[in-house]
Amino acid sequence: MSAKMYRSQKRVIAGVCGGLAEHLGIKVGLVRAIMIGASFFFGAGLVFYAWLWLLVPMAGEQAGEGNTLLDADGNPRIKLFRPAAGEPTEPGAADGRQKLSIGFKEVLIGGALVIAAVVLLGQQLGLNLQLGTLIPLVVIAVGAVLAWMQLDNTRRVGLLSAAKMDTPMALLRLGGGVVLVIAGVLVIVTGSGSWTLVWASVVASLAVLAGVALVLAPWVLKFWREFQAERAGRIRETERAEIAAHLHDSVLQTLALIQKSANSASDVTRLARAQERELREWIYQDAGQNSGQLVARVKAVCAEIEDLYGQSVEVVTVGDAELNDHSQALVQATREAVLNGVRHGGTAVSVYVEAGPKGVDVFVKDRGAGFEVAAIPADRLGVRESLLGRMSRNGGTAEIISSASGTEVRLHLPSETSNHEDAR
Amino acid sequence: MTDAPQPIRVVVVDDHAIFRSGLKADLDADILVLAEAATVEEAIAEVTRNSPDVVLLDVHLPGGRGQGGREVIAGCAASMPGTKFLALSVSDAAEDVVAVIRAGARGYVTKSISGAEISDAVRRVAGGDAVFSPRLAGFVLDAFGTAEVAVEDELDRLSARELEVMRLIARGYSYKEVAKALFISIKTVESHVSAVLRKLQLSSRHELTRWAADRRLL
Repeated sequence: MSAKMYRSQKRVIAGVCGGLAEHLGIKVGLVRAIMIGASFFFGAGLVFYAWLWLLVPMAGEQAGEGNTLLDADGNPRIKLFRPAAGEPTEPGAADGRQKLSIGFKEVLIGGALVIAAVVLLGQQLGLNLQLGTLIPLVVIAVGAVLAWMQLDNTRRVGLLSAAKMDTPMALLRLGGGVVLVIAGVLVIVTGSGSWTLVWASVVASLAVLAGVALVLAPWVLKFWREFQAERAGRIRETERAEIAAHLHDSVLQTLALIQKSANSASDVTRLARAQERELREWIYQDAGQNSGQLVARVKAVCAEIEDLYGQSVEVVTVGDAELNDHSQALVQATREAVLNGVRHGGTAVSVYVEAGPKGVDVFVKDRGAGFEVAAIPADRLGVRESLLGRMSRNGGTAEIISSASGTEVRLHLPSETSNHEDAR
Repeated sequence: MTDAPQPIRVVVVDDHAIFRSGLKADLDADILVLAEAATVEEAIAEVTRNSPDVVLLDVHLPGGRGQGGREVIAGCAASMPGTKFLALSVSDAAEDVVAVIRAGARGYVTKSISGAEISDAVRRVAGGDAVFSPRLAGFVLDAFGTAEVAVEDELDRLSARELEVMRLIARGYSYKEVAKALFISIKTVESHVSAVLRKLQLSSRHELTRWAADRRLL
């Protein structure tokens, strides 16, 4: 028993009974017998059949085309690789068309028989059916059946999209136009302002239009389904191309580089780490995080150092801030601190950036042996100038806490607004 | 810890066999791997059958309704109240992390961590504590906000102490270092972290909700 119902490929008329039997897990013969039996109760079976015919897709068309974006459970899946060409549905569809030419005659005969039965039944029940009303009904029924028969034969035409009928606005415009034209024609034809006459004509033409709509509805439905399937296919194709292009530019290149430098463990680590970072960025790009540029700058700087030294630098950020001269200096100071950690600490470095309304805090921590801050010689520009001096020149503070279990550099830059408030 | 009388019994759930065997080799001797599973269905079956202390759970798993690790937690939580879940992933994405925590995982670590670290995390989770990586702490601070604000519901804000603990973890401090920096015991740090985890799981704070909605978690 499949979760979704499809019309069977092995069909007599449209495969409804076969599909239903498969879906419910009972025998086809039984379903057919019930369907035929029900048809004698005011054509209930017939209506039900027609309804299913309209709404239930063919087994091939849905499973082969429309469903490629979804797996068996209806979950989306990305297919990276193109399926073998010519795989979908062609044999099934051809098979169906062949069967259809046999079914066509039979259904006409069957339809005539059913109509005759209904007429007989009606007369027995004492309904006085006039030939004048019966013939148009028969004509409508035959017309509808003809239209519906044709349906399974049509291949993808893309009519809807060609006519730009795929937006609600376009549909509305079309509907409005049709209504106006009909109203205009009616007024001209009746030739008078007589409301009763116009009214009667409106009802009559609405009836005609309803009949036309009845015939066309399954067409529209079918076109719509095909259109959707085609669009899904196009989206999938674009996505696949984009992924393939990205994999080629990044992963394949890196793999080639790794093969070349397989002898150097540090090179391999560095390449793998850089590639991992880039791939992560691409996969988990977070749209909400791009408001300010400070975080992006800090991440870029840390990535650069990571590449340079082959040590991992873990960056955790909360909030973001605009990049100006002062925060530019903060980024430079952060760079110096991370560089120190990587060079002297020799372990993984953690960077934490917190940007709030009061200002920006940056913490850089390593687990190296540590050093005595007071013991830094006066001529060592790295720490004194790049960290402490730079921060104080830009209105911020820098602090270095070092012990045997590691070193932490704390940088703080108050925000501009809080600076002004302090001045007042 | 290594001479603990009772080994910690775990089930490893990951769809990559290479990763499972690597992880098994990396785990310390006092951690006993009872079973492995590769899909949502297998995972639920194995966890129910073995009732382990800890499940090491990959966030992205095939099978089920496509919800991965979340679905495993949901499928096991009712029948296995004693089992703790530790989420593992290659992904740092906020949606993955927070979704699996909100589903009931007691911690989150990335797959790149070392064998010693992951053994430590397993012991911590088995002992009833939460495991926060710096990144998860960063997400928590991002979601709850870094400033202390007055909100009525106790669940909806972090206390000053919890904020401090989260900040230090985000800065790369271990629990021991946090305890030392704040002059409190490791047990107190652990209880703060557990409280934050509970708030993260239960809070309906509108900012958290909005934050989650922005990232399509809800």
